[in-house]
Amino acid sequence: MKRPIKKSTKGCDDPRLDYKDLETLAKYLNPQGEIHARRKTGYCAKCQRQLKQAIKRARHMGLLAFVGQ
Amino acid sequence: MFLLDNNVVREDWTKAKEVATGILEKHGASVTIARRWAERSLAYTIKKVNRGTYMLAYFEADPGSITIIRRDLELNESIMRYLVLKCDAVPEGEQELHDAELSTDFTVPEPPEDHVVDSTGEEDNESNDLDIDVGFDSGLDASPARPKAAAPKAEEKAEDKKEEAPAAEVTESKEETKEAPAAEATESKEETTEAAASEEA
Repeated sequence: MKRPIKKSTKGCDDPRLDYKDLETLAKYLNPQGEIHARRKTGYCAKCQRQLKQAIKRARHMGLLAFVGQ
Repeated sequence: MFLLDNNVVREDWTKAKEVATGILEKHGASVTIARRWAERSLAYTIKKVNRGTYMLAYFEADPGSITIIRRDLELNESIMRYLVLKCDAVPEGEQELHDAELSTDFTVPEPPEDHVVDSTGEEDNESNDLDIDVGFDSGLDASPARPKAAAPKAEEKAEDKKEEAPAAEVTESKEETKEAPAAEATESKEETTEAAASEEA
Protein backbone atom coordinates (compact mmCIF):
# COMPACT_ATOMS: atom_id res chain seq x y z
CA MET A 1 0.00 0.00 0.00
CA LYS A 2 1.30 3.41 -0.96
CA ARG A 3 2.13 5.55 2.01
CA PRO A 4 0.49 9.00 1.88
CA ILE A 5 2.74 12.02 1.73
CA LYS A 6 3.30 13.41 5.17
CA LYS A 7 2.15 17.00 5.30
CA SER A 8 4.08 19.43 7.41
CA THR A 9 2.20 21.51 9.93
CA LYS A 10 4.80 24.23 9.92
CA GLY A 11 2.96 26.57 7.54
CA CYS A 12 4.54 29.50 5.79
CA ASP A 13 2.74 32.65 6.99
CA ASP A 14 4.28 35.06 4.46
CA PRO A 15 8.00 34.51 5.04
CA ARG A 16 9.15 37.54 2.92
CA LEU A 17 12.23 35.85 1.62
CA ASP A 18 15.03 38.05 0.44
CA TYR A 19 17.96 36.96 -1.72
CA LYS A 20 20.37 38.77 0.63
CA ASP A 21 19.16 36.88 3.69
CA LEU A 22 21.59 34.03 3.27
CA GLU A 23 21.18 32.50 6.70
CA THR A 24 17.51 31.87 6.04
CA LEU A 25 18.01 30.63 2.50
CA ALA A 26 20.76 28.22 3.51
CA LYS A 27 18.27 26.41 5.74
CA TYR A 28 16.32 25.35 2.68
CA LEU A 29 19.25 23.79 0.84
CA ASN A 30 20.57 20.29 1.24
CA PRO A 31 24.33 19.55 1.30
CA GLN A 32 24.28 19.13 -2.49
CA GLY A 33 22.89 22.65 -2.85
CA GLU A 34 19.44 21.53 -3.95
CA ILE A 35 16.31 23.34 -2.83
CA HIS A 36 14.12 21.43 -0.41
CA ALA A 37 10.78 20.20 -1.69
CA ARG A 38 7.51 21.68 -0.56
CA ARG A 39 6.76 18.68 1.59
CA LYS A 40 9.93 19.44 3.52
CA THR A 41 9.76 23.22 3.69
CA GLY A 42 6.07 23.21 4.51
CA TYR A 43 5.54 26.23 2.27
CA CYS A 44 2.49 26.90 0.14
CA ALA A 45 3.00 27.10 -3.62
CA LYS A 46 3.36 30.88 -3.59
CA CYS A 47 5.96 30.96 -0.83
CA GLN A 48 7.85 28.06 -2.39
CA ARG A 49 8.09 30.10 -5.59
CA GLN A 50 9.43 33.04 -3.59
CA LEU A 51 11.98 30.76 -2.00
CA LYS A 52 13.04 29.36 -5.38
CA GLN A 53 13.38 32.85 -6.84
CA ALA A 54 15.39 34.16 -3.88
CA ILE A 55 17.78 31.22 -3.96
CA LYS A 56 18.28 31.52 -7.71
CA ARG A 57 19.01 35.23 -7.40
CA ALA A 58 21.53 34.57 -4.65
CA ARG A 59 23.18 31.89 -6.79
CA HIS A 60 23.47 34.23 -9.72
CA MET A 61 25.20 36.85 -7.59
CA GLY A 62 27.69 34.33 -6.24
CA LEU A 63 26.23 34.40 -2.74
CA LEU A 64 25.14 30.75 -2.78
CA ALA A 65 26.70 27.83 -4.56
CA PHE A 66 24.94 26.03 -7.41
CA VAL A 67 26.46 22.75 -6.29
CA GLY A 68 27.32 21.69 -2.76
CA GLN A 69 30.89 21.60 -1.58
CA MET B 1 22.91 44.86 -6.61
CA PHE B 2 26.33 44.95 -8.22
CA LEU B 3 29.30 42.68 -7.72
CA LEU B 4 32.41 44.80 -8.19
CA ASP B 5 35.94 43.69 -8.90
CA ASN B 6 38.06 43.93 -5.76
CA ASN B 7 41.09 45.19 -7.67
CA VAL B 8 39.15 48.33 -8.55
CA VAL B 9 37.54 48.59 -5.12
CA ARG B 10 40.83 48.41 -3.21
CA GLU B 11 42.31 51.21 -5.28
CA ASP B 12 39.50 53.59 -4.43
CA TRP B 13 36.02 52.77 -3.20
CA THR B 14 34.39 56.00 -4.39
CA LYS B 15 35.74 55.47 -7.90
CA ALA B 16 34.47 51.92 -7.94
CA LYS B 17 31.08 53.13 -6.80
CA GLU B 18 30.99 55.75 -9.51
CA VAL B 19 31.56 53.09 -12.14
CA ALA B 20 28.14 51.64 -11.40
CA THR B 21 26.30 54.83 -10.51
CA GLY B 22 27.81 56.60 -13.51
CA ILE B 23 26.29 54.06 -15.88
CA LEU B 24 22.91 54.48 -14.24
CA GLU B 25 23.03 58.27 -14.34
CA LYS B 26 24.32 58.27 -17.91
CA HIS B 27 21.02 56.81 -19.05
CA GLY B 28 18.81 59.18 -17.09
CA ALA B 29 18.34 57.21 -13.88
CA SER B 30 18.31 59.06 -10.58
CA VAL B 31 20.23 57.15 -7.94
CA THR B 32 18.69 57.62 -4.50
CA ILE B 33 20.84 55.18 -2.54
CA ALA B 34 24.18 53.60 -3.33
CA ARG B 35 26.06 51.89 -0.57
CA ARG B 36 28.57 49.19 0.15
CA TRP B 37 26.79 45.98 1.15
CA ALA B 38 29.60 43.54 1.89
CA GLU B 39 33.02 42.37 0.87
CA ARG B 40 33.02 38.59 0.89
CA SER B 41 34.29 35.44 -0.69
CA LEU B 42 32.20 34.18 -3.57
CA ALA B 43 30.40 30.85 -3.50
CA TYR B 44 32.10 29.96 -6.79
CA THR B 45 34.82 31.47 -8.92
CA ILE B 46 33.69 34.24 -11.24
CA LYS B 47 36.16 35.43 -13.90
CA LYS B 48 39.00 33.67 -12.04
CA VAL B 49 38.29 35.71 -8.92
CA ASN B 50 37.24 34.34 -5.54
CA ARG B 51 36.35 37.53 -3.72
CA GLY B 52 34.27 40.55 -4.54
CA THR B 53 32.57 43.61 -3.12
CA TYR B 54 28.81 43.94 -3.31
CA MET B 55 27.18 47.28 -3.82
CA LEU B 56 23.50 47.94 -3.27
CA ALA B 57 21.81 50.74 -5.17
CA TYR B 58 18.25 52.01 -5.43
CA PHE B 59 17.42 54.10 -8.44
CA GLU B 60 14.51 55.38 -10.48
CA ALA B 61 14.59 55.00 -14.22
CA ASP B 62 12.32 54.72 -17.22
CA PRO B 63 11.43 51.13 -18.02
CA GLY B 64 12.73 51.63 -21.56
CA SER B 65 16.19 52.61 -20.37
CA ILE B 66 16.68 49.44 -18.33
CA THR B 67 17.71 47.37 -21.34
CA ILE B 68 20.33 49.96 -22.29
CA ILE B 69 21.58 50.11 -18.72
CA ARG B 70 21.88 46.34 -18.64
CA ARG B 71 23.84 46.31 -21.87
CA ASP B 72 26.30 48.86 -20.49
CA LEU B 73 26.65 46.93 -17.25
CA GLU B 74 27.43 43.78 -19.24
CA LEU B 75 30.20 45.53 -21.13
CA ASN B 76 31.90 47.02 -18.08
CA GLU B 77 34.73 44.79 -16.88
CA SER B 78 34.87 46.03 -13.30
CA ILE B 79 31.26 44.92 -12.76
CA MET B 80 31.39 41.15 -12.51
CA ARG B 81 27.69 40.54 -11.89
CA TYR B 82 24.59 42.66 -11.51
CA LEU B 83 20.98 42.16 -10.57
CA VAL B 84 18.32 44.68 -11.50
CA LEU B 85 15.02 44.21 -9.71
CA LYS B 86 11.80 46.12 -9.39
CA CYS B 87 11.26 47.54 -5.93
CA ASP B 88 8.09 49.20 -4.67
CA ALA B 89 9.74 51.28 -1.96
CA VAL B 90 13.13 51.77 -0.43
CA PRO B 91 13.32 49.64 2.73
CA GLU B 92 13.69 51.26 6.09
CA GLY B 93 17.20 51.80 7.30
CA GLU B 94 18.74 51.97 3.84
CA GLN B 95 18.80 55.77 3.82
CA GLU B 96 20.63 55.85 7.15
CA LEU B 97 23.26 53.42 5.92
CA HIS B 98 23.67 55.48 2.77
CA ASP B 99 24.13 58.66 4.79
CA ALA B 100 26.59 56.95 7.10
CA GLU B 101 28.73 56.03 4.12
CA LEU B 102 28.73 59.58 2.82
CA SER B 103 29.90 61.01 6.15
CA THR B 104 33.55 61.82 6.61
CA ASP B 105 33.95 59.25 9.39
CA PHE B 106 33.33 56.37 7.00
CA THR B 107 36.31 54.25 6.15
CA VAL B 108 36.23 51.15 4.00
CA PRO B 109 36.71 48.16 6.34
CA GLU B 110 39.82 46.08 5.94
CA PRO B 111 39.33 42.75 4.16
CA PRO B 112 38.99 39.81 6.55
CA GLU B 113 41.79 37.38 7.27
CA ASP B 114 40.77 34.81 4.68
CA HIS B 115 41.61 37.40 2.03
CA VAL B 116 45.17 36.03 2.27
CA VAL B 117 43.92 32.68 1.00
CA ASP B 118 42.38 34.43 -1.95
CA SER B 119 45.62 36.12 -2.90
CA THR B 120 47.41 32.76 -2.96
CA GLY B 121 44.59 31.40 -5.08
CA GLU B 122 45.18 34.17 -7.59
CA GLU B 123 48.86 33.37 -7.63
CA ASP B 124 48.00 29.77 -8.36
CA ASN B 125 45.93 30.86 -11.30
CA GLU B 126 48.82 32.86 -12.66
CA SER B 127 51.19 29.96 -12.28
CA ASN B 128 48.71 27.76 -14.15
CA ASP B 129 48.76 30.23 -17.00
CA LEU B 130 52.54 30.14 -17.04
CA ASP B 131 52.51 26.36 -17.16
CA ILE B 132 50.23 26.40 -20.13
CA ASP B 133 52.60 28.76 -21.91
CA VAL B 134 55.60 26.54 -21.19
CA GLY B 135 54.19 23.37 -22.69
CA PHE B 136 50.85 22.54 -24.22
CA ASP B 137 51.49 18.78 -23.95
CA SER B 138 51.54 18.95 -20.16
CA GLY B 139 47.89 17.92 -19.84
CA LEU B 140 45.28 19.17 -17.46
CA ASP B 141 47.16 18.89 -14.16
CA ALA B 142 49.02 22.15 -13.94
CA SER B 143 51.14 22.81 -10.86
CA PRO B 144 54.07 25.09 -10.00
CA ALA B 145 56.48 22.12 -9.96
CA ARG B 146 55.65 20.92 -13.47
CA PRO B 147 58.16 22.87 -15.60
CA LYS B 148 61.05 21.34 -13.65
CA ALA B 149 59.79 17.84 -14.35
CA ALA B 150 59.41 18.35 -18.08
CA ALA B 151 62.16 15.92 -19.19
CA PRO B 152 61.80 12.78 -17.00
CA LYS B 153 60.06 9.54 -17.94
CA ALA B 154 56.32 8.99 -17.82
CA GLU B 155 56.53 6.81 -14.70
CA GLU B 156 58.30 9.51 -12.76
CA LYS B 157 55.72 12.00 -13.89
CA ALA B 158 52.98 9.75 -12.63
CA GLU B 159 54.68 9.53 -9.26
CA ASP B 160 55.00 13.28 -9.12
CA LYS B 161 51.32 13.60 -9.81
CA LYS B 162 50.49 11.22 -6.99
CA GLU B 163 52.62 13.22 -4.60
CA GLU B 164 51.26 16.52 -5.73
CA ALA B 165 47.62 15.56 -5.71
CA PRO B 166 47.15 15.26 -1.92
CA ALA B 167 48.85 18.59 -1.34
CA ALA B 168 46.47 20.26 -3.74
CA GLU B 169 43.53 18.71 -1.95
CA VAL B 170 44.76 19.98 1.39
CA THR B 171 45.03 23.55 0.12
CA GLU B 172 41.58 23.34 -1.36
CA SER B 173 40.06 22.08 1.85
CA LYS B 174 41.79 24.84 3.76
CA GLU B 175 40.26 27.37 1.44
CA GLU B 176 36.88 25.83 1.89
CA THR B 177 37.04 25.95 5.64
CA LYS B 178 38.25 29.50 5.68
CA GLU B 179 35.77 30.53 3.06
CA ALA B 180 32.86 29.92 5.39
CA PRO B 181 31.06 33.18 4.79
CA ALA B 182 30.60 35.45 7.75
CA ALA B 183 27.03 36.03 6.82
CA GLU B 184 26.51 39.63 7.58
CA ALA B 185 23.24 40.77 8.98
CA THR B 186 20.98 41.84 6.20
CA GLU B 187 18.41 43.78 8.06
CA SER B 188 16.85 45.23 4.95
CA LYS B 189 13.52 43.75 4.06
CA GLU B 190 13.09 44.41 0.42
CA GLU B 191 10.07 43.47 -1.57
CA THR B 192 11.21 42.61 -5.01
CA THR B 193 9.49 41.36 -8.09
CA GLU B 194 10.88 39.73 -11.13
CA ALA B 195 13.04 41.71 -13.51
CA ALA B 196 16.04 39.52 -13.13
CA ALA B 197 18.99 39.89 -15.40
CA SER B 198 20.36 36.50 -14.73
CA GLU B 199 19.70 34.41 -17.80
CA GLU B 200 20.41 37.18 -20.26
CA ALA B 201 24.11 36.69 -20.03
